[in-house]
Amino acid sequence: MSAKNSVNISFSVNGENFDDVTVPTRQHLADYLRSQGLTGTHLGCEQGACGACTIELDGVAVRSCLVLASQANGSSITTVEGFDDEIMEKVKNNFLKHNAFQCGFCSPGMLMTTKEIISSKKKLSRDEIRAEISGNYCRCTGYQSIVDAIEESINEIN
Amino acid sequence: MKAPDFSYFEAQNIEDAIKYKSEDDEAIILAGGQSLLPALNMRLSSPSCLIDISKINNLNEIKVEGDFINIGALATHSDVMNNDLIHERLPCLVDILKMVAHAAIRNKGTHGGSIAYGDPAAELPAFAVAMNAEIILNGLAGQRIVDAKDFYLGLFETDLKSDEILTAIRYPLLGHNQHLIFDEVCRRHGDYAMAGLMARVELEQSQIKNLDLVYFATGDKPNIAQNTAKLVINDGYDYERLKKSLASEIDFAGDLNSSSEMKLHLATILINKILNKLER
Repeated sequence: MSAKNSVNISFSVNGENFDDVTVPTRQHLADYLRSQGLTGTHLGCEQGACGACTIELDGVAVRSCLVLASQANGSSITTVEGFDDEIMEKVKNNFLKHNAFQCGFCSPGMLMTTKEIISSKKKLSRDEIRAEISGNYCRCTGYQSIVDAIEESINEIN
Repeated sequence: MKAPDFSYFEAQNIEDAIKYKSEDDEAIILAGGQSLLPALNMRLSSPSCLIDISKINNLNEIKVEGDFINIGALATHSDVMNNDLIHERLPCLVDILKMVAHAAIRNKGTHGGSIAYGDPAAELPAFAVAMNAEIILNGLAGQRIVDAKDFYLGLFETDLKSDEILTAIRYPLLGHNQHLIFDEVCRRHGDYAMAGLMARVELEQSQIKNLDLVYFATGDKPNIAQNTAKLVINDGYDYERLKKSLASEIDFAGDLNSSSEMKLHLATILINKILNKLER
């Protein structure tokens, strides 16, 4: 029983195994991922408010700024770089079609949240979509087109 | 916005976690971390060590035991919201949790973590007090059960001893005449409330027989308004009178969102909102 200021952990990101890597205990998962070149995960507020760093951890969306890298030991992670299946291609195309981004900073988080919405298989109204993405800030305030893209994705896929 | 340095210990069982915590006063328990990690990132907290209990098995069970529903400390808010027993026996909790942050945070944040953290602006501590819940604590000397109303001592301060870990919360099931009604005022969905109210109501022939009013985001801990509740039972809603009563029994503390005067006003009108919900 001993505590240390760095730990060795193993996990997978987008299907690639990270075995026995050393991480500082104080490092959150977003910083670790970005240090490995996975810079699609954005950091806005680092206090769980903005949603830009949303990733999928063991099948559910979480804020990667509010998870320590050490907590991800044994986990399976998907980041926006891992969006390569048929369903997420459709989502990405709908974001393009509706111009659902201006500066693009919130887009990775919006896409991760959309992934969770799509996988819930629920048919959501526009108001419900707005409630679902209420934890993701778009400071360009381009919400209208983001809701358009998510709405079309739900209609197309679910 | 980076956490200070600390050491990290991944506990495999409750006994290890208790032992480790008892040996280090400055260590903090890490469960879901959805309140703790922001506090660390903002350097509002600087523990010597985080004792990660999230990998301990069987601490997330939700089960009915006699007249109680027992929620394991590590059940996430999403676990609770998606649980059939909760939907059947304690459906008000599902509606309350919808007001707690956002989906990605509810996927990670735990029931026990929120209860133990004791944020005066959070919904669950006030809910536990209003429900007369029992907090189950495990320590070196074994298990101890504390009533939720005695658990909260002050600002982020609880009765949790240095060797203790919160392992479960037991909620007495509501009878068919009993209701837990809640409302809150916040600037945006998912934000902390400017003021919120949990009301436990017992009806007799459509009249209020018993009433407990427990406020959150009003002071340093869940605030019980006993005298005001009596006034409501006897005389119904009278804004000026209830406002005066609330001012005399709660020490309202303003924050960035609302002044103490604003909180007093909101606390008063929340009673009316609750009564209107009750009539529906």
